[in-house]
Amino acid sequence: MKLKSTILALGLMVALPACATADTMKAADLNDLEIAHVAYVADNIDIRYAHLALAISENEAVRDFARTMIRDHTAVNEQALALLKKLNAQPQDNFLSQDLQKNAAKLIDEMSSLRGAAFDKRYAANELAYHQAVNGLVENAFIPNIENAEVKDLFEAGLQIFKAHESHAEQMVSSLK
Amino acid sequence: MTPKPTYQVGRRAFLARVMAALAAVALPAWPSRTRAADGGAEHVIDIRDLTFRPATLDVRAGDTITWVNHDIAPHTATAADKSWDTGLLKRGEQGSITVKPGMTTQYFCRFHPAMKAVVRVVG
Repeated sequence: MKLKSTILALGLMVALPACATADTMKAADLNDLEIAHVAYVADNIDIRYAHLALAISENEAVRDFARTMIRDHTAVNEQALALLKKLNAQPQDNFLSQDLQKNAAKLIDEMSSLRGAAFDKRYAANELAYHQAVNGLVENAFIPNIENAEVKDLFEAGLQIFKAHESHAEQMVSSLK
Repeated sequence: MTPKPTYQVGRRAFLARVMAALAAVALPAWPSRTRAADGGAEHVIDIRDLTFRPATLDVRAGDTITWVNHDIAPHTATAADKSWDTGLLKRGEQGSITVKPGMTTQYFCRFHPAMKAVVRVVG
């Protein structure tokens, strides 16, 4: 499990350059509340990317995808918050959440300067890379290490949705070539 | 659990909704559940794990089909040519249509295009 996590972390270092620190190797050591925080942050980052797409893109397929990202990630976050409330628990900020946020800020700056097809292609490519990286993290580092059964169930349900997003993003990338 | 706007909602559709609501709470709900009724059968298709269950369902004109969403993600059941649509179904919500002769039978989820299924109108 730890070997898998290390391999995964190396993958993340490629997909999420700002995460390329030695700390990334410790993703599998996060506790449940830190993992919940990372997931919540990751959801919100994708929602921010989607709002940017709706502000810039005129491609209807890209806009539809962005609307789905907002709808689905919002729904998952609502379930996560409801579960944390039920468990009387607070998500805990951590190095990985902070790395994700720093990287997202850079990407949003970069994508904000693009227009037309250049933006659409960059947004689509990022959505594919982002979902691949985060799905790998959830599947290989988080789910095997989550201790609370209800939290684990929620992550498993979320992963199914995000894998569908990954496939959808892959199709979007192909259609924009 | 807010009922969604439906096609020709009548007594059968109402009963199908009640059946679906009870099933959404109490049953794993797969494969589909069908119940005969005066003038037409009532069918329930579950949306679970980003799939329509069952993916193929035989129906007759006059039957009622109700889709129940069990997923966290909102979904729709939408005709391939968009001639009918349940509208957005959040988790725990359901939407129904009444089967019409010659209606489009291929359908998908507008939000997740890989989710596809078919209702076959027989007889």
